[in-house]
Amino acid sequence: MAGYLARRFVQMFLVALVAAICAYGMLYLVPGGPIDQLLAERQNAGQNRITEADIRRVRERFELDIYLPFRFTRWLIGWPAGPLPGGIGADWQIGCAVPGQVRLRYPDGRVEVVEEGCEVPVTMADLEGRKVSRGIVFGDFGISQVMLRGRPVTDLIMTRLPYTLYLMGTSILLSILIAVPIGVYSAVRQYSRFDYIMTTIAFIGASLPSFVFGIFAILLFSVLAKNAGLPYLPPGDAVGVRDYTIPLIGTVQAGSFLDRFLRFLMPCGVLTFINIAGWSRFVRGSMLEVLSLDYVRTARAKGVAERVVILKHALRNSLIPFVTLLAGILVALFSGALITETVFNWPGIGRLFIDALGRNDYNVVMALLIINVVLLLIGILITDILYTVVDPRIRLT
Amino acid sequence: MATSTTAVPLEEAAPRRSEGQWAIVFRRFRRHRLAMFCVGLLTALLLLSAAAPLIAPYERDAPNLTGRFLTPMGRDADGGLHILGTDHLGRDYATRLLYASRVSLGTAFTATLIASTIGIILGMLAGYFGGWVDMAISRFLEIVATFPTLLLLLILSSILVQNINAVPLPAWGASFLAFLFAVSEREARIIFAVILVLAFFGWTGTARLMRGMVLSVRENVYIESARALGASNVRILFRHVFPNALPPMIVDFTLGVNGTLVAESALSFLGFGIQDPTPTWGNMLGYAQSYMFQYPWMPLIPAMPILIASIAINYIGDGLRDALDPRQRG
Repeated sequence: MAGYLARRFVQMFLVALVAAICAYGMLYLVPGGPIDQLLAERQNAGQNRITEADIRRVRERFELDIYLPFRFTRWLIGWPAGPLPGGIGADWQIGCAVPGQVRLRYPDGRVEVVEEGCEVPVTMADLEGRKVSRGIVFGDFGISQVMLRGRPVTDLIMTRLPYTLYLMGTSILLSILIAVPIGVYSAVRQYSRFDYIMTTIAFIGASLPSFVFGIFAILLFSVLAKNAGLPYLPPGDAVGVRDYTIPLIGTVQAGSFLDRFLRFLMPCGVLTFINIAGWSRFVRGSMLEVLSLDYVRTARAKGVAERVVILKHALRNSLIPFVTLLAGILVALFSGALITETVFNWPGIGRLFIDALGRNDYNVVMALLIINVVLLLIGILITDILYTVVDPRIRLT
Repeated sequence: MATSTTAVPLEEAAPRRSEGQWAIVFRRFRRHRLAMFCVGLLTALLLLSAAAPLIAPYERDAPNLTGRFLTPMGRDADGGLHILGTDHLGRDYATRLLYASRVSLGTAFTATLIASTIGIILGMLAGYFGGWVDMAISRFLEIVATFPTLLLLLILSSILVQNINAVPLPAWGASFLAFLFAVSEREARIIFAVILVLAFFGWTGTARLMRGMVLSVRENVYIESARALGASNVRILFRHVFPNALPPMIVDFTLGVNGTLVAESALSFLGFGIQDPTPTWGNMLGYAQSYMFQYPWMPLIPAMPILIASIAINYIGDGLRDALDPRQRG
């Protein structure tokens, strides 16, 4: 077991590293990026003309003046942060603050300026005194480049995490509590009217995109209900800004418990519905399989009460495959529901990812991606270990 | 009852001409009423989208700032009838919806076709040859399976869409896609970027399924016989293994089209997929969401085709699964 775990951890670390390198390269090798975004935003804000010095300062802050491999290691493990001990390598060039320019004069009189060489190099010694993250390996995700300028990404994630935990936790719990009984009942009364209706709903629920559900929910419970003068639900955000009046309920104070609760209902409902659609089918399928096994027939034959057969003999064993869903649940709990959070403007982690990607805040995007991969890997490991617990026939080697 | 043997005329008792495999499948599929109805629906959608440039009443991108947010059946200042109304720029909704069907369905089908082809070929190689080929492909599959697909889909798509010149598409490819989707060549590049991204993350399931199928098919005696008769690996793979492993792949393809359709809609809805002047169901819905409080019918119009296509494709997949299952009689 110890050997197995050690091997798995090494494997997980390698996969996470590969994912990190791929994602980092992907984001930074293409043109555009945070600097363009920032400059564009400044220009839109009507600021003065951007000077060479401005560009240099911004490049320095985003470490764009350091060559990609060094930028990557600084991001990954926080090295190099300055010259080596004893001042070795203080003059090694690891970046370029101002690229050299060469004028190319063509025979036809055209003049083109191309970048070549380096006018102002960045050396190891220049790195001293610069802010550097301790490296993502040690849990420091660097600073947010655009969204919260200069503040650590961790702060940004921490302000969003409670919203995601609270939304995902409640909806996952509700979904399990509802989906399991529905699945069991559908399987026990296979081809009954209940089963037929439930499988149809589950089928439609599982084949539809969540944003369509979200929009329909807003349309029905917010827009149409409000227009019809019925009690309605506020359509988005986690906390209101202004007080509002709802028929039959009265005035809701912004920020009160009732306000938060009303705003929570719709995203939670949509997520729960989608989960139930998937999971109840899953439970039904595995329950049907178990119910047709010999030991269930034996239990019935020796006169065990049907209730006990279903709840004790069949249900317990049918929930074993459910363990495989745990990895996904763990990830969902922390990384949230991208699409649903966006539709309902819920300030969780999923919404953060979309915002960060839209504004090219790559440190935030990378942090969330890495956290996601690591959580997924941990989830898969936990699933594999739990499998041996619930099914003793399986051994990890 | 022993005495109930009825006299049957000889001609009728004679064995029927043996039915081909596909004829049996088709006969079984036809019995699935709902699936047949869905085939009709989907065909209608496909025909409408194919005929979009012919039947669209207006120009696709022609704005009309005096006739914005017209209700369905509304008339603009010039008296032009807009069957489904107009959007936030006064562009005819019906026209855009027709073109969007072409882009959305076309993207979904093309991306799934590419993904399935890659998946089937890799799965076949892994399952048939085993050994290090299988090792390499399976490990790669495992790694891709641990990637958070939706996040990477969004990242890759947003990068490629921002840097459209980085998309590896030759000029003839761009003009072909432009023709296929009835869009300009620049738009075709963006669509191709999205197709690439979707295909890149879509093949793993197919490869795993195909590998499993091939593993079981290659143990059959007829494969051994073919090899004994001196058939080459290529011949065995394409003539014997492939057709026998095909049925589950057809179902997989159908469900894959739905998955890709939903994924593309989600990408475009969130603003990281196909971009605005090119209409897709997803980005039309994305824009409609901003205006749904004043104009509540707006999101319904692009949402409906997503709903219909998605449910129809799933029911067709369901029907095909039943029809292709050899364990079922009839």
